[in-house]
Amino acid sequence: MAEPVIEAKGLGVKFAMNRRRKLTLREMFIHGKKRDPNKGSTDFWPVRDVSFEIARGECVGIVGKNGTGKSTLLKLIAGVLIPDEGTVTVRGKVAPLLELRAGFSDDLTGRENVHLVGSLHGMTPKMLEEKFDEIVDFAELREGYIDKPVRHYSSGMKVRLGFALISQLEHPIMLVDEVLAVGDKAFRRKCYDAIEKMLANNRTMVLVSHNEGDLKRFCNRGFYVKDGTLAMDTDIKAALDAYNADTKAEIEAREAKAKKKAEDDGKVA
Amino acid sequence: MASRALSVWQNRQVVDLLVKRDLKVKYQKSILGYAWSLLDPLAQAAIYFFVFGILFNARVAPGGADAPGGYALFLLSGILPWMWMSTALNDASRALITHAKLITTMKVPREIFPLAVVQTKFIEYLLTWPVLLLFVVVLGGQTGWTLLWLPVAIGVQFVFTLGITLLLASLNVLLRDVQRIVRIMNRVLFYSSPIIYPIHQVMGAESLPGWFKTVYEMNPLVGIFQMHHAVWYPTEAPSSLMLWSTVAGAVAMFAVGYWTFRRLETAVLKEL
Repeated sequence: MAEPVIEAKGLGVKFAMNRRRKLTLREMFIHGKKRDPNKGSTDFWPVRDVSFEIARGECVGIVGKNGTGKSTLLKLIAGVLIPDEGTVTVRGKVAPLLELRAGFSDDLTGRENVHLVGSLHGMTPKMLEEKFDEIVDFAELREGYIDKPVRHYSSGMKVRLGFALISQLEHPIMLVDEVLAVGDKAFRRKCYDAIEKMLANNRTMVLVSHNEGDLKRFCNRGFYVKDGTLAMDTDIKAALDAYNADTKAEIEAREAKAKKKAEDDGKVA
Repeated sequence: MASRALSVWQNRQVVDLLVKRDLKVKYQKSILGYAWSLLDPLAQAAIYFFVFGILFNARVAPGGADAPGGYALFLLSGILPWMWMSTALNDASRALITHAKLITTMKVPREIFPLAVVQTKFIEYLLTWPVLLLFVVVLGGQTGWTLLWLPVAIGVQFVFTLGITLLLASLNVLLRDVQRIVRIMNRVLFYSSPIIYPIHQVMGAESLPGWFKTVYEMNPLVGIFQMHHAVWYPTEAPSSLMLWSTVAGAVAMFAVGYWTFRRLETAVLKEL
């Protein structure tokens, strides 16, 4: 098989929790990491010891509870977070659909924003020129709105414009973070179709979502992330099953606890 | 380092766009627009002219009050480039914070945001040139080969300002007090550089100890503003020693700024 397009080795990133204070200038420059005043504080690893390889054309769904590091993992792949441990190698350009409204400045018009954010994502002016009408069309903005400041847009409009723009990127790797959950039904349909079209071009996608339908529809491989580590790397169905089983067990445990508490309370009374 | 420089270069279009956006937003919203960026330095120059030139009746322009251009031109030729420096410093600390959304969602070399700040302010400085030229004509300022000091001054100032901006932008994400320090620093730097007074007043002052004068001269801003003044007042041209120490100072500032920026990058990205 060809080289994997995304390759992670022992990936980990840490956040400091309960920090008393930040480093003073002196410590930062002179001592480096040796004398950390926050030694007593606990380091928190949202993602640790994660290794995987993703080949071209694969679509990977990431499932897991809230706060277990799914989004952090995606950010590491996107290169907007630098890992403290391990490496992540991405071969090819990445289209990050991490937060769609991102990057739009309120004071500029939709047109100017499309040009600014488009270029930030590596689109050439020529490409933007060609695709511009298509983008506006896809976003279903009301007549004339494209030349109004984004400040006057509704949040739905911003997201639609954002998705319309990013879905035009021709980068071989796509990272999607639950953005499909936005928009009304008709627009979601359109997003699905757009994504499906993109996948048809043998592009690679990593999708974080809680929506089983979405995951089953697009993905052929699933990661189950649990407490910052990669608990399972199988096909999407098995990952979802494991996730559901864990969730069910947890709910049962919680119910049992609540029941027990109620019984205890009853005894006291 | 080389590869980073390359990727910044590849993203120069983005820098241009950020610069254009900032200028547009700034000028779109106010009626006076362009006039605002002139009023501030002009008002400052008028104040200093009134206080020092008239009230104290100081013949402070190099070559005496009769020198071509006089004290008024001397003030302007210092204050206009100072505005570039000082406005860049003010925005520097917010350069990364205001773009937090962009930085956390897409992979671009993070250096471009401080760079865009310096470049925006530089263009605003260029836009004040017509006014300076107007004053040159009215006041009878004279230049010649000394005009060659200008590109040198601008080049060195660009490197120096970029260094400070990189330093402040990354530090401020982790230590928000930086913003406040900048305001004080801004004022200290203003008076500790020969912007509104000629350097010989410091160097010739008998009440100042020798070591103070040496420290004073080590400030790279001294050399930078001497060059800005030298365009119109040839006597102000820096000695070759001062010139090289200024260049070295600017390069050192840039190295420190860039090193800090890279070193803090990991932490900054988490914090944003």
